[in-house]
Amino acid sequence: MKILIAISSKEYSKPTLQVGMLAAKAYNASVTIAYVGQKISAFGKSDVDLAMESNAKWGLERPGVRVLEWAFKYLAENKYITPEIAKVGFQRNTLVDHGKNRLELHLKGNYCEEVDLILRRGDIIPELRNEVHQGGYDITVIGRSKKRRMAHDLVQYIDSSIYVARDLLPFKEFRLLQAVDDSKGTAKALLYGSQVAKAFKMPVDVLTVSKRESFGKGYMGAHKKALKIFEKSGVKPVSMLKVGDPVKTILETATKRHLIVMGISQLNPIIQFFKGSKPLNVMKKCDSPMMIVK
Amino acid sequence: MIVSVILFVLPAPSGLSLSGYRILIIVFIALTLIISEALPLPGIAFIIIILEVYFGIGEANDIAKSFMNDAVFFIMGSLMLAVAIVRQGWDKRIALGIIKLTGSKTHRVAFGFAALSAVLASFVGEHTVAAIMLPIVLTLIKYTSKDRIKIWRLSAYLLFSIAYGSLIGSVGTPSGGGRNVILIHYWQEFGMQQISYLEWMKFAYPLIFIQIPVLSWLLWKTFPPEKKTLDTGIRRLKIRAKSDTITPKKITALIIFFLVFLGWVFLSETVGLGIIALTGVVMYLITGCVTWDDLHKHVNWGVILLFGATISMGAQINHTVAAEWLANSVIKFGGELMVSVPIFTDGLIILLTTLLANVLSSSATVAVLGPITLNLPGDTVHIGLVMAISSAFGYFTAVAAPACTIIYASGLVKAKDFLKVGWKMGLVSIIILVIYANTYWALIN
Repeated sequence: MKILIAISSKEYSKPTLQVGMLAAKAYNASVTIAYVGQKISAFGKSDVDLAMESNAKWGLERPGVRVLEWAFKYLAENKYITPEIAKVGFQRNTLVDHGKNRLELHLKGNYCEEVDLILRRGDIIPELRNEVHQGGYDITVIGRSKKRRMAHDLVQYIDSSIYVARDLLPFKEFRLLQAVDDSKGTAKALLYGSQVAKAFKMPVDVLTVSKRESFGKGYMGAHKKALKIFEKSGVKPVSMLKVGDPVKTILETATKRHLIVMGISQLNPIIQFFKGSKPLNVMKKCDSPMMIVK
Repeated sequence: MIVSVILFVLPAPSGLSLSGYRILIIVFIALTLIISEALPLPGIAFIIIILEVYFGIGEANDIAKSFMNDAVFFIMGSLMLAVAIVRQGWDKRIALGIIKLTGSKTHRVAFGFAALSAVLASFVGEHTVAAIMLPIVLTLIKYTSKDRIKIWRLSAYLLFSIAYGSLIGSVGTPSGGGRNVILIHYWQEFGMQQISYLEWMKFAYPLIFIQIPVLSWLLWKTFPPEKKTLDTGIRRLKIRAKSDTITPKKITALIIFFLVFLGWVFLSETVGLGIIALTGVVMYLITGCVTWDDLHKHVNWGVILLFGATISMGAQINHTVAAEWLANSVIKFGGELMVSVPIFTDGLIILLTTLLANVLSSSATVAVLGPITLNLPGDTVHIGLVMAISSAFGYFTAVAAPACTIIYASGLVKAKDFLKVGWKMGLVSIIILVIYANTYWALIN
């Protein structure tokens, strides 16, 4: 498995980095920590590059390097990288420039085989999309953005499952809230949900919401199947069958200590753009961490 | 794109020729693409050129001729000169020079940065100066405090001093910016009265000396620095800068630039500013002060192509009489005031130019607006200079000028900081320019 963790600053990204690294450790996944710096206008790009080279001659680091240095320190303190690398410390001059506004530092991990630090520059969504496309990541971990639109666009346009990290809480205190319906997206989400619950020994609530008083065959079948999958992975789930508006009900059920897992909507992207979708609408309004599985 | 297609099938407004209407559609497409950055700059340039031919505005050879001229040579040459000059590493000497003159009081240091940036930018262009000054300021900030958050106002104060100082200075001489040379090209192309390098300086240079103290005061008020003296930072910067040695190559580079400057002053009317800039580039290449690989890597070829295309578009706006039609529309809007109150025309030009320069870039603004404003009633030198100077009022956004983009890229100033100080600086600059243009220019004329 490959996990991409998108960080923005040491002030706001600690929960994101912590959750991302915990997941990487649990799955023994390769992990990449990426920081995307400010976009530079095409008119000034060459001038900025020239100025940055002058800065380097004065021993001044590029913007964003300090954020990577902070991430390195976090990895070293929490023993995610080998003691030899941690001892040497963050070496700014070992950042390899791959061109196209991408610098990379490759590290040897303790629990995860590979740990990469990436510095990119540009519009955050296209840059992360390119990184996911280039690296073929399974999950992208993003933080809780003040700009709801940003998280919305990331979910919409990035071609991997998305984990939206919220406030820092020990994973042990979480319950997993698996939202289930008869859609195709639910099937894949169930696999992820059961893996996460098993890896972190989380109690699970399986929630199916029907708009009508009676539950149809499809919904009941999907719900029962979900319960079975969790039981098979050694977790005893709590069954929840509720009637009402799905988004509203999920939001009412979820607490801050719930990790919501949902499948991506199968709706047409244009309809999603204007109307939204269940996972996007839940993500917009909820205060819980959330996993949207693609 | 949809709007462009709709415009294309609609009939031309009365009084405007079909080719004039179509060039305005190209202007609309070009502006939309430049502002949105939906395509790379060379792509936008090619769209302008091919549409000029497909829309029947000109023959392929005529469009090609209007695409390449001395203004484009100058933009190409000045971008290359910037690489050659920055490469020489005179920054440490400059740092020592400023420190010697200003001492360690924060307001004096900032004033020194602003004033020197302005003077240098008036000759070598704001992008060059900002690239030279940035490491000096960043080193000073780094040596002043390790925690940048604690001195964010000081950082903004010093960084804006170099960016805005460079912008203010860039109007001082024709070689201060590509937009100045584009204006000179239009004066020539449209058969209008021209002014020499020294005459330009006579018109524009005193404005720099008025604006710099105003800038320093406004920055001090907007970003009151956390430290009123920079003793530690200055001392450490001095030690760092003293490690520099003067090499024969550095001297050669300086002599070449001095020769280029003399060429601009005394020969530009005969051979053109662009040719002189390119002569300097050739001299730098021959003497080994810069390599072609370096120039190739650091010159923004997209910008050169785009300015070539926008100048060609500007020439066609004038050729198809669309400029005159637009100017007449502006006159109708302004009414009698346009003729009887010259300040009104100045205000309108300044406002329009400033607004466009902040979203487009100063050179592209002059390239597009030039043919229209030069058709307005009044002295074409006066109007042209007002436009060229106000195109440097790119204080509001980080994209308006390379100097602003450079300090923005340092990560120490945010987009909102530009707005915070930019509106004040913009407003004051507009008022100063209107008064200056209608008093001092009237006096020297």
